[in-house]
Amino acid sequence: MSQLEKSFYSKSSMYSFIVVVILFMSMWIGTGQFSHMDWMLFGYMVSTFIFFIGMTVRLTSWIMRPATHEVIKRSIQKMKSKNSQKRNGKAIFKTLIDNILLQKYIFKRGVYRGIQHWLIAWGCIGSLAITFGLTLGWMHFKLVDSSTYQMVVFNIPTIQMAADGWLAQMFFEGLNITASMLLIGLAMAIIRRIRDKDLKVTQRAEFDLFPLYLLLAVTLTGLFLTVSYKLLGGWMHPQLALIHQITVVVFLVYFPFGKLVHLPMRPMAASVPMNYQETPGVDTRDCSGCGELYSNDEQIEDVKAILGAQAFDLKNDEGDWLADYCPACRRKLRVMSQLNLPKGAGKAAPVQTNNGIHMPGFGRKRSEDFYQPAHSGKEEL
Amino acid sequence: MRKVMYLEFERCIGCRACQAACRECGGHDAKERNYVEYVDFFENRQTYPMLCMQCKDPACARVCPANAIQITEEGVVLSAMEEKCIGCRNCTFGCPFGIPKFDFEENKMYKCDMCYDRTQHEIAPMCASVCPSDAIRFIDHDEMMDLRRRRTQMNLIEGKKPSENNKWDYVPEFFGVYSD
Repeated sequence: MSQLEKSFYSKSSMYSFIVVVILFMSMWIGTGQFSHMDWMLFGYMVSTFIFFIGMTVRLTSWIMRPATHEVIKRSIQKMKSKNSQKRNGKAIFKTLIDNILLQKYIFKRGVYRGIQHWLIAWGCIGSLAITFGLTLGWMHFKLVDSSTYQMVVFNIPTIQMAADGWLAQMFFEGLNITASMLLIGLAMAIIRRIRDKDLKVTQRAEFDLFPLYLLLAVTLTGLFLTVSYKLLGGWMHPQLALIHQITVVVFLVYFPFGKLVHLPMRPMAASVPMNYQETPGVDTRDCSGCGELYSNDEQIEDVKAILGAQAFDLKNDEGDWLADYCPACRRKLRVMSQLNLPKGAGKAAPVQTNNGIHMPGFGRKRSEDFYQPAHSGKEEL
Repeated sequence: MRKVMYLEFERCIGCRACQAACRECGGHDAKERNYVEYVDFFENRQTYPMLCMQCKDPACARVCPANAIQITEEGVVLSAMEEKCIGCRNCTFGCPFGIPKFDFEENKMYKCDMCYDRTQHEIAPMCASVCPSDAIRFIDHDEMMDLRRRRTQMNLIEGKKPSENNKWDYVPEFFGVYSD
């Protein structure tokens, strides 16, 4: 692998090359040696390639970060370990269902937000799946006889359906369904962005608002195509198709570099319970200060490795690491060292002053030689 | 931002007004992000307030596998971005000061953001604006330097001098209990 890597300019260029080759081969197979190419979708196809290259570059640089690398290394190690494979599978499956499919945690942040995000997320994923499937020629529809359609996936004929049956309708209206989901979700999101003053504190126009309005543009122009050919007799259809194509191209090129890239990154959450929670929600490692349970060994090991990889020296004088203490003990350690009472200095004594009035607070006991007359002891002070 | 947060732990009287104020801050979702804790409950009732240090190179952001913790141009370390945070809690274990909190229900990390909506306009954060004993202050950098210098002068009252190999004995232990 490293030999192959050396023949490329960088890791990301190597992976991009591999991804492009795979995509090209899948097109070659899917379209039957390019005999079923849909040339109407040529613009979409080019931007799809840019999308995949951008995504590869973005994800490669993300995975190369020490923290991400460490977590992925841990996930692979966990998955390989034989004795807990059943538990791992269960943990991943449950988190995927809860966090990714149903997005329960967002519903806990607010039902409105949950519905909004779920609609946008699955609207997006559905639309992207259909777009990629059609533009790269992974699937197309063939007329078997005058009233029967057949779906061809990767050049393999699959299910047949009546041309006016409900299944065919579902396929033909697929993008309209996902676009309607998106439209509702986006309207909810925009209303939230306008009404919620708390959001305005940290929201940025180019990061939070641009993708929202871009998605809205894609959705509206796409839905208007349907309106045009269904209700308006194809009014302005070629022009509208071009406008829609432009918005989609901008969307696909932007996607890997903005807020929306959390779509491929967020599923890493599925590995968290497997990596770090032997039983979900139960800590097993005890703090070396107070003895409270606060985490588990694997996570602390990973945190230390990540910090070490980035030259963070969080070792105490006693030789233990700050990560060995629970957060409450760490706060106390910080306060005590700032107040001149490092670990082992004993209990805080009243603050002692020259006038003999002892103030409550954080003082340290004076050493006995402080009270020695000045001439009897050391002169260097 | 020319202003800085200035903490004096020994001034804390344990009223927890800062925590109540923190809950009221916009975007904090009625959950406090700062701490007021006892130094040693069995010894005395002395408490200390604890906020985020807003590190220049934050360990929490460095250990985040999702790259979710962002730093504003003013240098404020924000809570994890909600869309990126994968809920692994690495930040709570990476932070050397034990600051980030974790919401298991909503599966996200939240931490002191110095009330970014206020401090970016140089308005004191909620905790500093309500602290009755000035344990938490939001002051000019020059004023802070002045206060530090005065703290060092207080050593003379206490009769402490730095010794060889132990300059820390000279660092003041208290400030402001006396008027000048």
